[in-house]
Formats: sequence, C-alpha cells, structure tokens
Amino acid sequence: MTISTFVFKNALRNKRRAVLSVSSVAVSLFLLVTLQVALRELTLPPPSAGAELRVAVRNKISLTNPLPARQRGIIERISGVQAVSPFTWFGGRYKNEEGMSFAQFAMDPVELRPLFGEARMSREGYEKFAADRDACVLGKITAEKYHLKVGDAMRLDSTIYPGSLTFHIAGIYSGTPDDRNMFFRQDYLDESIGTPGYVGMWWLKVKTADDMAPVIKAVNAAFQNTSAEVRAESERNFQLGFISMLGNVKKLIASISTVVVFTLVLVSASTMSMAVRERFRELAVLKALGFRRRELFAFILAESFGLAAAGGLLGIGGAYAIFTFGDVGKMTQGIFVSFEVTPRIMGLAALVAAVLGIVSALAPALSVARMSVVNGLKTLD
Amino acid sequence: MALPLTYNFRNVLVRWRSTLATIVGIALVVAVFVLVQSLAVGLEKSAANTGDPRNLMLVRKGSTAESTSLVSLEQLRILHYWPQIARDAAGQPVISADLICLISQPRIDGHGEANVSVRGVSPLGVALRPQVKLVSGRWFTPGRREVTVSHKLASRFAGFAVGDTFRTAGKAVTVVGKFDGGNSAFDSEVWMDADEARALFDRDEYSSFLVRTTSPEAGQALISRIEADRRLTLLAEPEVKYYGDQTATALPIRMLGNFLATAMSIGAVFAAMNTMYASVGARTREIGTLRVLGFRRRTILAGFVVEGALLAAIGGALGCLLALPMHGVSTGTMSFNSFSETVFQFRITPWLAAKGMIFAVVVGVIGSLLPAIRAARLPVITALKSV
Amino acid sequence: MSGAALLLKTISPFAQCRGFRGRMARRQIELFSSGPPSLLYFVAETIVQIRELTKIYAQGEIQVTALDRISLEIAAGEFLALMGPSGSGKSTLLHIIAGVDRPTSGECRVQGVNVTRLNESELADWRNHNVGFIFQTFNLIPVLTAAENVELPLLLTRLGRRERHRQVETALALVGLGDRAKHLPRQLSGGQEQRVAIARALVTDPALIVADEPTGNLDSHSAQEVLAVLQSLRSDAGKTVIMVTHDPKAAAFGTRQIHLEKGELSP
Repeated sequence: MTISTFVFKNALRNKRRAVLSVSSVAVSLFLLVTLQVALRELTLPPPSAGAELRVAVRNKISLTNPLPARQRGIIERISGVQAVSPFTWFGGRYKNEEGMSFAQFAMDPVELRPLFGEARMSREGYEKFAADRDACVLGKITAEKYHLKVGDAMRLDSTIYPGSLTFHIAGIYSGTPDDRNMFFRQDYLDESIGTPGYVGMWWLKVKTADDMAPVIKAVNAAFQNTSAEVRAESERNFQLGFISMLGNVKKLIASISTVVVFTLVLVSASTMSMAVRERFRELAVLKALGFRRRELFAFILAESFGLAAAGGLLGIGGAYAIFTFGDVGKMTQGIFVSFEVTPRIMGLAALVAAVLGIVSALAPALSVARMSVVNGLKTLD
Repeated sequence: MALPLTYNFRNVLVRWRSTLATIVGIALVVAVFVLVQSLAVGLEKSAANTGDPRNLMLVRKGSTAESTSLVSLEQLRILHYWPQIARDAAGQPVISADLICLISQPRIDGHGEANVSVRGVSPLGVALRPQVKLVSGRWFTPGRREVTVSHKLASRFAGFAVGDTFRTAGKAVTVVGKFDGGNSAFDSEVWMDADEARALFDRDEYSSFLVRTTSPEAGQALISRIEADRRLTLLAEPEVKYYGDQTATALPIRMLGNFLATAMSIGAVFAAMNTMYASVGARTREIGTLRVLGFRRRTILAGFVVEGALLAAIGGALGCLLALPMHGVSTGTMSFNSFSETVFQFRITPWLAAKGMIFAVVVGVIGSLLPAIRAARLPVITALKSV
Repeated sequence: MSGAALLLKTISPFAQCRGFRGRMARRQIELFSSGPPSLLYFVAETIVQIRELTKIYAQGEIQVTALDRISLEIAAGEFLALMGPSGSGKSTLLHIIAGVDRPTSGECRVQGVNVTRLNESELADWRNHNVGFIFQTFNLIPVLTAAENVELPLLLTRLGRRERHRQVETALALVGLGDRAKHLPRQLSGGQEQRVAIARALVTDPALIVADEPTGNLDSHSAQEVLAVLQSLRSDAGKTVIMVTHDPKAAAFGTRQIHLEKGELSP
C-alpha cells in the first residue's frame, strides 16, 4: 500500500458521504458553468461569416420609427456599397401563439443571397423567392419546430399592421447563426396591408472591410438634417446595442454567479470537514504512530482535493457534454441558439474547484493541528 | 405516539455549528429563488395598478397595444360631441388624444442606449390621470418643445435632469419637470404635448384616445355604441382593464428562475442529506435507546424528517429575510412587449415568501428522507452497541 | 429509602393502555395455548421461562454461537446476577429476555407471554409496559432534561400531561433527584445520570427491571448507591431485577448468581 492508495481508500470509507460531496460539487460547478456561458452569450453576439461586411441603418430617433423608401436610391449610389435591402419588422403571430417564437422581415428578395452569403439554400429556393409575390423563406429551426416544408402555406397575423398575410414557403435555409427567421417580400407587404413608401430599416453589404468606416460615415451624412435622420452602424455594434438594452440582466446573472460560488464553497467545505471530524481517532492514531502534522495535512488536503476534482470533472465535463452535443435551441425554447462552453469558462470553473478543495481542507486541518494525541484517542471509546 | 417537537427542535439547535453551513446554504438558495421570482412578478405586473376607473381607452380595432394603434382627427371630431363623455368646467369634453413614440436615449451609466416611451398628451391629458403627480419642476407648456419625465426613468438615463436638453429627431428638447407615476406603467414614460410630438416626429395621426365618462352606465353605453358603429373602427375598453391585460412577458426571467431553483435545490438537497446523515450517525445510541423504550420505527423516521424540515424552515425564513430588503427596489429592463425601457419594482408578495418557505421545507424533507429511513432501520442491538 | 416502598406502591398500574390490554389478552390466550400444558402450573411463581434458547449470529464471515440451548427459570422477586467473561453471551441473554433481540431457536416466556413470537410492534409495546432497561452508558437523551428523560416512556401511553408529570415527580423523588428535574444530563454526575436512568426504567411500573453492567461506568461510591437502589426495588417493590455484570462485588448484591461461559450455563 502506498500513501496515495491509503488516501484513496480513506476517502471511500464512507462511500455515501463521498458520493454526496462529489455530487454537490458537481451540481454547483455545472450551474456555475451554465451561468457563465449564458452571460457570455448575452454579452457577446455570435460572430458570423459575413458580419464584418454588413451595415445596419435605422432611424436615428429609434428603431421603431420608419424610414422613407426613397432613401434607397441615395444609399445605392454611395461608393463601397455592394448590396442594399429594406428590412421591415412584421411582428406576426403564427397559429395564435401567445408570443412570437421567430422573427419575420420583409425584404427585397433579389438581395437575399448578396447580403447573407453564409446562408445555405437550394437554388430553386432563391429563384422562387424572387419570382413569386407571396413567397417566403424560412429558417431550418422554425421549419422543424412546426413541421413545415417547401410549398406549405403560412398565415401570420400582424400585431403592427392591420390584418394578416398568407405566404408560401419557397425555400428553407440554414447555416446562419440564427436559423429561425422568416423573410418575405417588401412589395407584397406594401401592396397588401403595409404602408407603401416606408420601410423599417436598411441592411447594406460593403465591398471590402476597408469600405466599412467610410460607408457608415457617408450614409449618416447623406441624411443629416433631413426629416428622417439615420444611424448607420456595423452589424456587430447593432447587435451590441440590443444587448445593452437588456441592461441589468448582466448584472443580475453576474451577482447570482457570485452567490452560487459562495454557497457552493460553504456547503461543500462543511461537508468535507464533517467527513474529517469523523475520523479524528484515526488521525490521532496516525499521529501516535509518528506521522508528523504536515503529513496529516497532506492526507486531509489530498482527500478534499480529490473529492473536489472528481466533482469538478463531473460537473464541468457534464456541462460541456450536454451543451456541445445537445440541442440548445430546444432546451431553452429558442432563447439561446448557441451555448458555447469555452476553455476559458471551463478553466475558471476548474479554478473554483481547486480553491474549494483547499478551503474545505482548512477547517479540519486546523482542528487536527490543535488536537493532542490523547484527546484524539479519547474521542471514540 | 410521536416524539415531542421540542426534542426535534432542540436537536436542531444543539448541532447548530455543524448545520450552520447547510442552513445558510438553504437560505441563499431560497433568497435567490425569491428574488428572481419577484423580479419576474414585478416585470409582469409593471402595468398593473395603472388607470382611473372612470376612464375609457380607445384604440384602433384589431390593435393589441397603443404603440401599434393609429387613430385619426376625424374620429376625434366624431367623438367630440357624444353625451357619455364628461365635460370640464368650460364645457369642453374631457378627452386626451395621445401619441406614443419611442426614442433612443443613452443610459446614465454610459453603457449603451435604450428605447424610451414618449407620450404626447392633450392639455387635459394630465388631469385625466390623477395618479400621476408632479414632484419637481413644472408640467410642459403646450406649443413648446418641453417634456416632463418620470423621475424613476430619469435616474436611469443621461440628459433627463430638470433643465437638461437632449436631442431627438434633429431637434433640441428641454426637460422642465419630473413626475411620479404612482407605481404604474406611467413610471416608464416621458410626457409632452401631443401636437408638439406630432410635429416633432412627423406624424399625422394619434395612437389612442383617453376619455372620461359621466358615469359607469354611460361608460358601458359608450363601449356598446363604439362597437356598433362601423365607421369608427375603434375598440373601447376601461382604461384599468386595458392596462391589466398588458402583462409584460417575463418568460426569460422565469425560465432563469426555474433553472436556478432546480439546480440549486439539488445542491441544497445534498447538503441537507449530508447534515442529516451526520446527525443520524452521531445519535445511533440515542435511536437505539428510543427503540428499547418502545418507540416505533416510523416514529423515529418521522422524527428525523421533521428535524430536516425544521432545519430547512429556519434556512428558508433566513432566506426570505435576506431577500426582503429588495422589495420595492426599482429597476428597469427592456420589455419585449413594448420594446422600450420598463421601470418596475421587485415585488415580494406574502405568497412568494410562502412559496420560498415551502420550497425550503420540501428540500429539507427530501434531503432527510434517506437518512431518516436509515435511522429507522437501525437494528436495536447494533444501535445500542455502537459508540 | 424506607418510604420508597410506600411511594412505589402508589405508582398504580396506570400504564396499561386500554386498547393494548384487549389485544394482549387475545394474544395471551393464543400464546398460552401454544405451550405445553405442564408450564401452566408454574405461571404464577415463575416470571421468566427459557427453554432451549439458542442464538447464532454472523460476524462478517464467521458464525458465532452466542447462546447454546440455554434453559432457565427466574422466579418473581429475584435479583439475578448474570456473570461471565466477555463474549460469554450474558448480554445476549439479557437482550432476548428484554425483548430487544430474537433468538435463533427456543422460546422465552415472560409473565406467560412468549416474547419470541411477538412481532416488531407488539414487542415495542410490550417492552414499554413490561420492561425497564438500564444501560451501562446511561443512554439519557442529551437534549432533554432529567424530568423529560423520565417522561419519555410515558409518552407512549395514554396518560394526560398532569398525570405524567405526577409520575415523573414521584419517580425522581424515589431516586433522590427531585431537585435536579430541570437539569440536562451534561450537568449531572455519572451516578446521578444512572439514577435518572433508573427513574426512567421505573416510571411505567414494569414487572421486570433489566440492567446491563449498570455500574460499569461509575466510581465505587456511586456504584454502591445504584446497587442499593436496585436491591430495594426488589425487596420493597417486589420487582424482578436481572443484572448482567462481570464484577463479583456487584453480583454479591443479588439473591442468585448464574454463570455463563461460551454461551452455556456453567454449573
């Protein structure tokens, strides 16, 4: 028997307590990882292939104010602009559901591919979208959720425009960071229940990365002092703007994570010190046999470290497995589409586990240090 | 016959040092649970408590919210002379034609922008809403680009102090006063003159009408009349009911709360289990003695479950106390319904606190079940011989 | 302790629970009729009858014979000292008589009742009413006061609160600890703790008092006191006391001594 097998056997003496300790560490670390990942997802929009070259243009007053359709001509003539499309929020409810689980936008069908090159769809899809008035394209996630396929009809009641519209699915796309959205034709909206002459916002694609800054500047300048001033910004900043609207949610999650870590350390530390207190007599015997204080410390530390490590492996590994191989969209009802467990987050959790292992060993180590052999032997008669 | 509660209670107290960590752990779990739920409740109820029972809200038929409703001057002219509408001292009908518009404003902490709801009201609009009271400065003057902002909203955004000027739609607007909305939806709004707003934001039409009726019966009559009138394409309902139906979606917050509660409660159950196992382990001789004296196995089981529940209840009470200071604290976030900043309060209702306690007790019972079964199953002899 | 007899007499047989008596009566008829007819003759004088009692238990992978076909009769009013070296089975025998353990084979009748045939709950009830147990390690509940400890067995009866408190007072007065009623066990000396335990054993007025090394954890002075109390229980109150001990000086307090060696009675 070596020292390490001794420690190992010792830890497993009370199997039930070992299991409970490991489980509680695992659960808490799982929670910590999940919260950190959620926080990261909420504060960092997912980078997508074409995002560096896209620009969002909205009414300067607020996103909810419309822009005149005639602005398009002016934007197209700015150098560096490769593609332009209107983007109008429809706000439709599907099948009388309480909330909206997917967004719908009216746009220029011809500009779909130029603007969103990373999307993958069949060629017929693009063609039908450009040809049929009431055509729409649907993201894969939404199509699967409602069991829709190409050719199916969809009816949406708008909460913004008076009335509802029926569309036919021309194609189903995938490959974007958010495969839930539905796109249909601006002219269809204008002719039916929309407000012709107005669009929600513009999306542009610039030719190269260097064109980004000058184009943004030019667009903002073009409409200054008109009745519809705009704010043009890169897609990334546009998304960040949304996130900043959530405001306090980040603070909330961050503070909850702190509380969780604290609770975790507290509970697990007390559990492990209970385990050691149980074995004072053994430790006293070891001391009588000649083991020095620091060797006893090492035993205690090794045991609590081992338990924490086991719990860490289980909790962090479990989180990684579930979120990497599981369907996050389904689990969170579509609130999150991606849930990446980064090495940095795993490292942070592992650090917490290590700290936990050390802290839990502190109290028992202190008691052992102060214990005299005689008292220790007396504790279990 | 059951073991006396004093026995259980004293056992919980006597081992306080070793159970303290578990109690604090449960307290924290309950506190987090109560706080997150109270956040959700606060957001959902942010529009409750809004409106005067004598008022009717008129929006476009088919519209779900003021912000997407459009009503016209024509319709206003038609309504003007209806007898069900109350009149003021000067004989004018008490109607406000409102315009809702969202503007993007920078936050006071410099972390980005958020949408703020601007409500343009007619001169009688303030009087129609007696729950709104001026707290500093003065009301805006019709015809001038002035606003009076909710003081709760003002504290969250830059440029909303009395005397400040901010720019929107290419023009400068001055803040001349602050009001208190009385913990209603109006706490999330900026008010100005309706016609001034229409000019500023280049709108032809209004969003809604708010009318004061002469009596409840007149109100009913008005609703029916509007329903019947094809020309008008309006929908009328009591203002209080309109806001009552506007429940903000706090679904993401509720989901977060449920997830946290579940995960943390699993950890709490393990902690309780550990504590109770330790307790049983330390008292095996005591258990044996009780059995010898004639107490039944199920009595022993019940005793330990009660102790677990007591332990957890103490933790739960502590947790509720920890969460309590947050009650009434104002905060805000973007509401996915109105797409604008909504100010609301943490609402810790007695029912929510009770739910927190029940949650704690359930955790305690589940956690102590297995140890209690172990205690009950101890063979008497072994228990007596143990140390 | 001379007034003890009088006081003891006032602890009337209140502890019999009505429902329990009915059930026990029916069971007694069953158990009585299941035994051989010759035993019926001795029921009045003999309080404990043991026939061919054997106890074998497994310790890890080894089978240990604790008791090997023991037969024994104990008369009412005896103070019996069970002696023997460690591992002789004396505690095991005591536990079986007290209804705390079951034999592997054989039978044990206490006051005519075949305790080896009672089920778990019947045994629990039977112990509560018929046996007072005194342990070497006192086994008082640490969080309860002396009075509450003594009251514990009474909680299983149908007595009201006032009645219970009266009996507790009497029992504590009997062992001379009336003024320590509100003390916790940790505030009492070893000797005092054991006397509280005796009061607890007495409080349901059982016919049988069973003591497992009652003086093992006491100094000689307290030990003397405790043994004297046990003796008076027999002489003044007519209780039957069965005591396990390895100390010949303690055994001398008894009216009869029995030696056990390796699970067998030695002559």
